[in-house]
This record gives sequence, C-alpha cells and structure tokens, in this order.
Amino acid sequence: MILFIEGPEVKLTVNDGIFLDVDFATGEHFDMLEPHCLFPISGRNKYIVLLDSEGEQIAVVRDMDQLLPESKQAMEDCLREYYMMPRIKRFIEMSEKFKIWMWTCETDRGIITFEIRNHITAVKPLYDGRILIKDANDNRYEIPDIKQLDKKSYKMLAPKI
Amino acid sequence: MYTLNKIPDWLTNPRKCLTIAIHLPIMRNKSIKNIYSVVLIFAGVPQTEGVIVMNTLFNRPVPDSLKKAFNAEFSEQEPLFCVVGDLNLQAKYGDSLLAFTKTHIIAFDQTHEKSPVCVAIADIEEAKVKRMYGNAMFRVKCKDGKRMSLQRFSYAAANVADAAAEYVNSVNAEGWSEDLVEVVKSVYHKQRSFCPKCGRKLPSPDADCINCSSKGHILSKLSKYIAGEKKGLIVCLLLSIFTTAMALVPPYITSIMVDDVLPNKDAQGLINVILILVICYVLQYAVTGFRSYLLRVTGSRIVISLKKDIYEKAQYLPMSFYDKTSTGSVINRINSDTSTLQQFILKITQEAVVQFFMLFGILAIMLAMNWKLTLISLIPVPLVALTGRFFGKKLGPKYMRIWRRSSAISTILADTIPGIRVVKAFTNEKAAVHKFEAYCDDWLSEDKVVAKVSGFFPAFMTFLVTCGSLIIWFLGGQSIISGEEGFSIGILVSFISYASMFYNPVNFFANLSDSYQNTLASVEKIMDILDAEPEHDFAKGEYPDRIEGKIEFKNVNFSFDRSKKVLSNINLTIEPGDIVGIVGTTGSGKSTLINLLMRYYDEYDGEILIDGKNIKDIDMAYYRSQIGFVQQDPMMFRDTVFNNIAYGSPNVRVEQVLHAADIANAHGFICKLPDGYDTMLGERGVGLSGGERQRVSIARAILKNPGILFFDEATAAVDSETENLIQTAIERLIRGRTTIMIAHRLSTLRKANKIVVVDKGEIIECGPPEELLAMKGKYYKLVQIQSMGEKLLAAKAEENFE
Repeated sequence: MILFIEGPEVKLTVNDGIFLDVDFATGEHFDMLEPHCLFPISGRNKYIVLLDSEGEQIAVVRDMDQLLPESKQAMEDCLREYYMMPRIKRFIEMSEKFKIWMWTCETDRGIITFEIRNHITAVKPLYDGRILIKDANDNRYEIPDIKQLDKKSYKMLAPKI
Repeated sequence: MYTLNKIPDWLTNPRKCLTIAIHLPIMRNKSIKNIYSVVLIFAGVPQTEGVIVMNTLFNRPVPDSLKKAFNAEFSEQEPLFCVVGDLNLQAKYGDSLLAFTKTHIIAFDQTHEKSPVCVAIADIEEAKVKRMYGNAMFRVKCKDGKRMSLQRFSYAAANVADAAAEYVNSVNAEGWSEDLVEVVKSVYHKQRSFCPKCGRKLPSPDADCINCSSKGHILSKLSKYIAGEKKGLIVCLLLSIFTTAMALVPPYITSIMVDDVLPNKDAQGLINVILILVICYVLQYAVTGFRSYLLRVTGSRIVISLKKDIYEKAQYLPMSFYDKTSTGSVINRINSDTSTLQQFILKITQEAVVQFFMLFGILAIMLAMNWKLTLISLIPVPLVALTGRFFGKKLGPKYMRIWRRSSAISTILADTIPGIRVVKAFTNEKAAVHKFEAYCDDWLSEDKVVAKVSGFFPAFMTFLVTCGSLIIWFLGGQSIISGEEGFSIGILVSFISYASMFYNPVNFFANLSDSYQNTLASVEKIMDILDAEPEHDFAKGEYPDRIEGKIEFKNVNFSFDRSKKVLSNINLTIEPGDIVGIVGTTGSGKSTLINLLMRYYDEYDGEILIDGKNIKDIDMAYYRSQIGFVQQDPMMFRDTVFNNIAYGSPNVRVEQVLHAADIANAHGFICKLPDGYDTMLGERGVGLSGGERQRVSIARAILKNPGILFFDEATAAVDSETENLIQTAIERLIRGRTTIMIAHRLSTLRKANKIVVVDKGEIIECGPPEELLAMKGKYYKLVQIQSMGEKLLAAKAEENFE
C-alpha cells in the first residue's frame, strides 16, 4: 500500500545536501530519506518518492506544490542537488570524425564538450517540443524548447531530430 | 629494466604519457603483463614537472592549473592515482581533482570552503560514490561522524571514482598493499582506452580504432559490393554506351529527311531513311531490353550481398547495441535502406556514365551543327546546376528526418504486430491505432515538407530547360526567316531534338544530388551497423582441451549504463558438478549474472574464470557451445518441432533428437500432435503451450550436450503438474554438469548443493542450503514466506475441493 503525502501533514528538512528528514504530524520521524522523482522527465514536481537507506519506499509526495513553503523549499533544494540535466542554450560546435561526434554546447551550468556515438539513439525529441540528449557516458542534457534555439544551433541540430 | 638518461618529450606530455601507460599492455600483452611494469620503468627518473605528471594514473589529463596547485602545496606527497572531475561541487562545469596517496585523499575544488581539502584515509569510516541523476559525488563518512562531499563529477568519471572508493575502504579494512593499487589500475586501464595512434577514445577497451581503421569514404565502403559484380556492370555499361550512340542517330537522320529527302520528293531515299531509322530503333530497344534484364540481376545481386553482410553483422553485434537500437530500426535498415542504396549504386555506375557520354556526345554534334546557337542554348545550364545544388542542400537534412520517422513507424509495427495477443487481451486496439496514426501523421507532415521542395524543384528545372528550347526556336527561327546561309529547317528540327536530349543529362546531374542526399541518410544507417563494434572475440581459436565446469567471479562490477550499478563486487566460486541455485528478489541482478557468464556483455570490471581461465581468453563460439541455456520464455522459431529441437546442432541424427525429446519429457506430447515432429510452429512457438515450449527448449539443451547449464526461471510460468514434468527433465539433464539455476520457486532448487542469495546487485549469502537455513538470514526468510504461501494455497485448495 502506497502512503501518499498530500502536503501539510509533513515537515521536511534537508540533511547532508541530498537527503531529507521527515516529520509526520502523527509524530512519526524518518531520517535521511532520499527523494526520487517518479517522472523526472515528464513532471518533476509531482509524485516524488521518499526512500530509506535500504531503498525501501516510505511515502510518495503527490504534489510538491502542496507542501508547506519551507518543506517545498527543502525538497526543491534536495532535488536540485540530486538531478542534473543541464539545459542547452546553444550549440557552439558539432564535429564528426568517423562516426564519433563531439558536441560543444553552452548550458545553464557552463560550457561542455561531450561525445555522441549515435545521434539516432542519443537524441530524443519529445512531443512537447523538448529534446533529450544522452551522451556516450550516459549523462543527460535537455533542450527545453527547440524553437527557442538560435538559428545556427537549430540548423546544427535539425538534421538529427 | 630500461635506464633512461634523458627524458624524452613524450614522457613529460601528460596525454602521450597516458596513452603509453594504457596501451603498452594492449599492444604487447604477451610480454608486458600490466600497467604497473610501465610505471616501474619510469621509477627513478628525475621529476621535472612534479609528482602528478610522472607516476600518477589519471582518468583524463590533469588541467595545468590543478597540477601546479597540487605540486605547489603537496610537493612531498606522491599520489598513486587521481580522479579528474568535470563538475564543481555546485554542479557547474569546471575542473576538480581528487588525488589518492597511500595515506591521504586530497581534494581540489574551487567551491570548497577551504581548498584544497586533505583527509587522512585512517580517519575515514566509509568512502562511497553516490550516484545521482546525471552526476555523482565522492563522499566520505569520517570516524567522528562528519560527512563530506569531496568531489562531484559526471558519469564519465564514475567508474574510476568507484574504484577509488573501494581502495579507501580496503586500505582501512586490510591495510595498504600493492594489490589494492593493482585493482585500481585495472579499472583505470579499462576506463581510459585511447587509441595509441590518434589518441581518440575507443568504443571499448582493446577495440579497433574506428578513426584509424576506417576505410573512409562511403564509396570506398561500397566498392566491395560493386567489385563483386564488376563484369556484369561493365557489360551493362558498354551496352548503355551503344544504346546512347544509337539514340543520337535519329535526329541527324531526321535533318537529312527534312532538308534533302522530302523537298526533293525522293521516294527511294525516304525508304532508305526509314529503314535506317527502323534498324536504329530495333537495335536500340533490343539492346535496352537485354541491358535492363542484366542490370536488374546485377543490382539484385549487389543488394542481396549487402543484406547478407548487414544481417551477418547484426548477428555478431553485442547485446548492448540492441539495448539501444530498436529491432524495428534494424529491420528497416536491412530491408528498405539497402534497396535505396541499390538504386543509387546503379545510378552512379550506370546512368551517370551513360548520361555523361550523352551530354558530351550531344554537345559535340550540336557544336558541329552550329556553334553559336549551341553556346546560346547553354545559357540556362549554370542556372540549372546552381538550382540543383541549392535544393540538394535543403533536402539532405529533411530526408534524414523522414528516415527517423519511417523508422519509428517500423518500430511500432515490430512491437505491436508480434504482440497482437497482448493488444487484444487489453482491448488496446484503439490506442494502438491512435499511436500508429500519430506516428504516420508525423511522418506525413515531414514528407509534405520534402514533397514541397522535391515537387517544385523538378518543375522549376524543367521550366529552365524549356526556356533553353524556346531560345533555340526564337534564334533558329530568325536565322531561317532571314535566310542565313548554312542553316536549314532540317538543322533546326534536329537541333531542337538534340537540345531536348541535352537537357536530360543536365537534369539528371542536377537531380542526382536529391537522390544522393536520400541515399546518404540510408547509407549512414547501414554503416551504423556495418561499422558498429562487434562482440569482441579476443581469443579466437583458443580452445581449452575440455571444460570441467569450475566457475569463478572475481571482484565483478557491472552496470548497463553508468547511472546505476547492477552488480557490485561479486566474488563467487562454483566447483565442477555443483548445482547452484541463485535466489533473490526481482531486479536483484540474478539474470545479469547469467548474462555476463553468457558473454552477452563484456564491459564489466573484474574477471570471470572458467577452469581458471578468463572467459574472454576462450574462443567465444566454442565457449558458448559448451553452455546450455534454458530461459523462462524460450524462443521458438518459425520452423518444425524437429528443427526447433535441432537448432544449433546441425547434422544431428533423427534418433538423437527423439532421445533428447524423450529425456526432456517432450516426446509424449509431440507424438500426439497430428504432424508429430513435422508440426510447423508459428511465430514465437505459437501452437505449443508454455510448458511444452519449455520442454522443447530443454530438449534443445540436451542435444547440445553442454558441460555447463544455466536455467533462468525455467519453471516460473507453468502449472505444478507441468513443473514436475519439467523438473524431472531438468534433473535428468543436469546430472554431472555444473548447473546454475535462477528460481523464484525455491522448490525447484531441491537438488541444489549451494545457494547464492543476491540482493541489490550484491551476494549477501552463499553456501549449502542447510547452512543458510541455520543462519536464519534472507534465504531462511524467503523459504519461510514461500512455505507459508504454499500451505495457504494447499489449505484453500482443500477447502474448495470439500
């Protein structure tokens, strides 16, 4: 049976950067729970599972927006630490030699060059206009809206989607 | 031992130094056993640039700033290895460094409150790599309870960081030793696989460098297929040139007819001219017919040999390829992309040459007839060529997008049509249709864009060509009206004919870019398979005398992708003849153990040995032939029952198959089938029940007579009665063979003399079943739960019966 947390019945506090201490209104307390988004791509604010150190599920937060403001902040901080999917702002260079692509992009976390082995499997356009990219090391990147890319970047990416 | 008096410049260059340290063992793995021997060669050489450069292992070159910072602050410390990170602790891209010595960890990160941070290994209770989403952190828990995040990095450095954490924990547990460094080095060796020639990263350690071994251009890749059909293509080409020459004759004859025969009312001349034309046309069309036949056969041979090669390559691709590429997409490449390529090859080798001759032949004739008019009629040519180039560039990326969408449609078909039973069972027909429609619409909208370009493009080109004809009519007509000497109506008529013929090759070459772009998209997909790294058979031809069946896992770690470890630190020894049951919850890593043993995945850390020999050092085909694998949902092929049992055992005698089926408790039900062993099975074994399919697959394994047997949930999907039949068959089969059985139903492990309990990718219990029961650990709990469940079921059954 999944225990759903609606919102105000819990108080969340950050512990050690990526963990949460959870206090239920009933008096129950859990230390060092790890929040995981059940839908990290399609909806990060909803259905966040809290796992203990053994990976066992303690509860699921239905909607982060319904939490008390401090708890919501704590969860946001935690998730920001845990989830890293840099948003690509523009493509600086795409070079290819013998089927190995090196893409250099500017992201919200700085400039990065990564390797793409097969852009057919590495680049996934979604119907909401987002593009997900997975590099040769399984790191993930996101283009929030392909239409917002500058003309040069769009031209570079268009044949690959 | 070598003595170096002077340090060569490549020794002081970190990138080159790294390459050598990594690749010497690969290049000469017979003579140099490991990287450490290379490090020994360097020992004693005066250090000119600080300790990090000379002796230290690192996963990627250390940035100069960090190198200098380290050497300035820790000149006395000699790090054994470093993890060079690509993120700072605030998850922004930037360089960071974690250096490991015998006694300390030194962390450099600009965002540390106090950088660098130096922690004594002795003060650490546990070091751990915390894998998160798209990044990971090296964290330590100190003995005073303090927790610290020392470094953050993307998955690119996660594996070496894992080894580093293991090193720290092992140093604390057993004290420092060379062996611990050796373990780390082997991980670095695997991680940092660069080509010794060009320095590029290899697809996997020891793989051939695509960069250096690449055959280069598409045409050179395709030449192999063209070369095989050289004779046929040359004959076709000669015939084409002949027909082209024939095609040039009629306009000339027409001019004679218009200028000489008709005005002079020469009846005999007319007959002669018509006869010549008849002979020309007969020759032209007869030869064209023969050439078309020959060309089709030759083209089909090319495409078939290409299909065979791709299919063959697809058989040897590693499972990791299929994890990332849908089977629908592979099928699409074998079927339609090869046909696109065939058309293009024929276009290039035949039509292009013919059109080339046509172009220059017509040009020569036209120049001979009237050079001025010829030059004027050439005015639209540059326009035609430029337009072709412009549209070609526009079309290329669009064809690639169309390909992706048509491949997505194939993938849906490959998913839903074979799974039609599931679709019907869940009454999901409408949703399936909607999804298919959405994909088709997506394809259609892309196709519309291409249709717009490719529709207007030829029309515009034809318009330009017509303009050329109009110019000739206008200027030629004026010459005739003004009575220009040497220019007749006959010449004008034949000139118009030649001019319209002239634009055919011009049009052809202008449109060639269109089909070239279309083909490029297909070629890229085909080359993706042909160029993909096949499963590595490092030891082809290495056959051990016989396989006794001793299996050892030594420090095996594995992850499908770097985001999550599936197996951690697996150490296990299985003696010959042992019957080992592997139990654990779903997703604990049981099947992955078997997948590694089957060599479906080779990219793991650590070693798996059979009879003391690394499985990677045994010929892969031989190795797999020594293993019998019975899966939960055995695959049946669209063939007879007999051939399904004899699958993988060619030249087997009929009685051997009957005997195997009998041992597998399959003979009984096969006898009752109307067509017996000749019963044709549908896709995925349709026509047989789950238990029957399972027994056929056991018969298949019996026939193979393997030394080692794996069962992956072989009785999970059958009823108790069938389970008994299968169990008896299994017991007959496993006698005297090393057997590994994965089972949820613990009752199926009654013959096992060893139980391995896997949980979250780790072995948590291992030993004889009685010992594990006495320990009252996880296995005991599983047995308790199952026996309770069985008792409940029995009680319920009894109740219902009463």
